[in-house]
Amino acid sequence: MSAPFVQAKNLRRVFDVSKPWLNRVLEGGHLEYLKAVDGVTFDINKGETFALVGESGSGKTTVARMIVGLLPPSSGQVLIDGVSMTDPKQAPARRRLRRRIQMIFQDPYASLNPRFRVDAIIAEPIRAFDLIQGERDIQARVGELLSLVGLHPDDRLKYPHEFSGGQRQRIAIARALASDAEFIVCDEPTSALDVSVQAQILNLMRDLQDKFGLTYMFISHNLAVVRHMATRVGVMYLGRIVEIAEGRELFARPRMPYTKMLLGAVPDLAMSGRQRIPVKGEIPNPIDPPPGCAFNPRCPLAFDLCRKETPQLIDGVACHAVNTAPVPA
Amino acid sequence: MTDTVLSVRSLQVEFASRRGTLRAIDGVSFDIAKGEVLGVVGESGAGKSVTGLAVIGLIDPPGRIAGGEIHLAGTRIDNLPPEEMRRVRGKRIGMIFQDPLTSLNPLYKIGDQIVETIRTHLNLSELAARRRAIDLLAEVGIPAPEKRIDGYPHEFSGGMRQRVVIALAICAEPELIIADEPTTALDVSVQAQIISLIKRLGRDHGTAVMLVTHDMGVIAEASDRVAVMYAGRVAEIGPVQAVVKNPLHPYAKGLMGAIPTLAGEDKRLVQIPGSMPRLSAIPRGCSFNPRCAFAFDRCRVERPEPLAQGAQSVACHLYDNAPAESAA
Repeated sequence: MSAPFVQAKNLRRVFDVSKPWLNRVLEGGHLEYLKAVDGVTFDINKGETFALVGESGSGKTTVARMIVGLLPPSSGQVLIDGVSMTDPKQAPARRRLRRRIQMIFQDPYASLNPRFRVDAIIAEPIRAFDLIQGERDIQARVGELLSLVGLHPDDRLKYPHEFSGGQRQRIAIARALASDAEFIVCDEPTSALDVSVQAQILNLMRDLQDKFGLTYMFISHNLAVVRHMATRVGVMYLGRIVEIAEGRELFARPRMPYTKMLLGAVPDLAMSGRQRIPVKGEIPNPIDPPPGCAFNPRCPLAFDLCRKETPQLIDGVACHAVNTAPVPA
Repeated sequence: MTDTVLSVRSLQVEFASRRGTLRAIDGVSFDIAKGEVLGVVGESGAGKSVTGLAVIGLIDPPGRIAGGEIHLAGTRIDNLPPEEMRRVRGKRIGMIFQDPLTSLNPLYKIGDQIVETIRTHLNLSELAARRRAIDLLAEVGIPAPEKRIDGYPHEFSGGMRQRVVIALAICAEPELIIADEPTTALDVSVQAQIISLIKRLGRDHGTAVMLVTHDMGVIAEASDRVAVMYAGRVAEIGPVQAVVKNPLHPYAKGLMGAIPTLAGEDKRLVQIPGSMPRLSAIPRGCSFNPRCAFAFDRCRVERPEPLAQGAQSVACHLYDNAPAESAA
């Protein structure tokens, strides 16, 4: 098999969250760093949907921003179709690659420029990459893209405020498709939308994937949405991937205690009478994470090693209890 | 029924705007019994929050209650003078809002805020009120309450802050708690803790709870009965098992099918075309008719009134004069 389309290798991102220099001098205190992402490695194959799921502060969005090149990693690298997103020597190749990568953001009220008409918004990538010459052809393409996402070609003459949240997200999708993108990073694309509209957008995204063979990286905190969309899932906790598996496998047989807890915490709509697992505690402060495995203070299986040594991702799970000790039943 | 805590009858709420009067709530009726959790679910703009605000008397001008009645344990409260309503609020009705950061004053220690609320409503000394505040914090699951009581809101995490807000809501032993999206700002793992806390409070104290949320999962988990709202009206109301598993109203059906679940087949989600109408352009007849696959002529002219269907009640013409089994 050829190399995966997207490769993230040992990505790390550290933010400096220290107080300003003068305050440090006057009030004491030292440099503080927040490890938002720490050693994240994964591959995405062409045509699949890879989802990252986790609670707030787990580093999902930071990974997404590093993948598309909006944020340089502190260390590690991203390869898309063999081209490094960080190596300065590959800048020309990267410029050609840009067109093929697009992003859809969470808040469709913030991601569309309110002063631009829809035709200008959708045509922006077309003009930026110089894909189509001639105003008439550009407008025709914009109309075509709008029909593709379920809007009317005449909607191109309106402004974003004239649309509802779901329609705006359709415009954002049309913009992502305008440059014939192959890889779309979607950061919580439906979490600002109502459920009935969410269903429309998720169905649309899957239809477009079938039609154009798109590759998605899908970021969400909603496990049910992830299960619906993803072929493979990575579960993040405090900047690390703690479990990575095929979607079906992960939801049928979660292995890492955190994944089990997260799945157990989802409200049960089927009302099967399943007892929810009561969850202990909350996600710790990422500036001062617990030593060893970051999940150990909340973990029912934690033992001595978990408090000393950070577990490595072995065979899709980063957990001492799963990887070394026999799991107590 | 004697143990009905809250009874809302034909409630109408209007907002005056430059483009005429907008009717946000149009003829909403429901009851909540002692110890019962009523889930109110709907999409943005359905009128869930406005219903909650109307019950607690917090509709600010230009909005006003234009019609209907609200009774709390037999007494009418929608026409009370503001000063009297102020005594009902907090004492007899507790309120939990969505964002725990904005419902606490960042400049005061949480203990002071709880003590102030307790002393406003109950005749207790400073010391006794503080002891009660510590007990309340312990009850809502805050570890080391005797220490945490002197903390400021920013020293608490989101889930812990929401617990403080819940402690505030229950400090005067209210008969009714209105919880408006209490778990929406929280992560799933914390959300589960807050839901079980709200459920336990209802059970232990016999408090009636009106749980307003857009999250059907939370409703299924926490409530006894559920009201599905659409465009300012109750489309369907009934026991939670029945409404979730066997919804009758076409909107409720669509809504249930639109929710991705962790179990079940990996099939296409049910899609309801279009979106919720704006208040300024609510369709004639049944407000759902332009999006409804079953709409017929009558739906476009006549507004459906709630019809009893077993334990459920549904506002849909499909169920009028038709036996329950063959309908839909």
